[in-house]
Amino acid sequence: MRIVFTPDWFLGHDVLIDVFSFIILFLFFLFSIKGYRLNKNKRLLYLGIGFLLISLAELSVILTKFAIFYDTTLTQSIGGLIITYQVVSSLDIIYYLSFFFNRLFTLAGLYIIYKLPLKKLSGDIILVTYFIIIASFMFHQFYYLYHLTALIFLALIIRNYINVYLKNKLVNTKIFIIAMSLLAISQVMFVFSKISYLYVTSQIIQLISYITLLILIIKITKNGKTKQVKHNL
Amino acid sequence: MERRNKLNIIYDILGVIQKRGEIKKTHIMYQANLSHNQMKLYLDELYKKKFIENTDSEKPLIKITKKGMDFFKQYAQVLEFEKTFGL
Repeated sequence: MRIVFTPDWFLGHDVLIDVFSFIILFLFFLFSIKGYRLNKNKRLLYLGIGFLLISLAELSVILTKFAIFYDTTLTQSIGGLIITYQVVSSLDIIYYLSFFFNRLFTLAGLYIIYKLPLKKLSGDIILVTYFIIIASFMFHQFYYLYHLTALIFLALIIRNYINVYLKNKLVNTKIFIIAMSLLAISQVMFVFSKISYLYVTSQIIQLISYITLLILIIKITKNGKTKQVKHNL
Repeated sequence: MERRNKLNIIYDILGVIQKRGEIKKTHIMYQANLSHNQMKLYLDELYKKKFIENTDSEKPLIKITKKGMDFFKQYAQVLEFEKTFGL
């Protein structure tokens, strides 16, 4: 069964979107770790781990799509008669493993980001881990199960960060909420990604979401240089 | 009201100094909301870390160094990042 519903004309472009997403997520990871090294705030470390997991998930899917892209090109150049976007058997193991880890890491990362603003970080971890593994494992039978799970996590993240925004009234938090909302919309569309134009639309929405996150990074970096954050002075 | 940790106090002191350019010790004490003893302790540490230095003028004034300014900017980014995520 196919898991990647990329239309042939879009193959390659979606890899570029994934590469861009990976870079943004990795930047967030680097920022979190830089912060943790400076003030030893463990929540920054967990945030960094969350972003790292999602960026690794993106990396695994980039490598797989890259393999599919080259495999397809090869098939086209050799035969020209049978053009198929099914993965040949030699790629099957890598294909399934990398998509499994893509799903697993993304859901785990989203769960960590969801948990961070909460006072209590522990609780229900075993249960949630179980469901994350199930959702990741079942992706090739029910591909939409992963997208629905991701959608639920994103909805919970949005709810939590709306609460954070109500307390801090920071534009940055609002930007993060917008980015997460766009990601949530893209997940809804991914559920119907068998329709090729919806797949492309969801990829474009995902790209806009990561551009929003890039704006957030630039804003944090610029503000840090020009503005003093007040500390009960 | 949230208690300031050591790094936040250092950040506040550096913020006061960089805002004024050159500043007297007593002004740092009032503007960074510190006791005399606290201020002495923190300034000693900032001198040791080469985050601040005395000016060449006759008056006993303090200014921020490039190293101090770099730390200040980096820490401002981290604080902004933390606030964004409600950490």
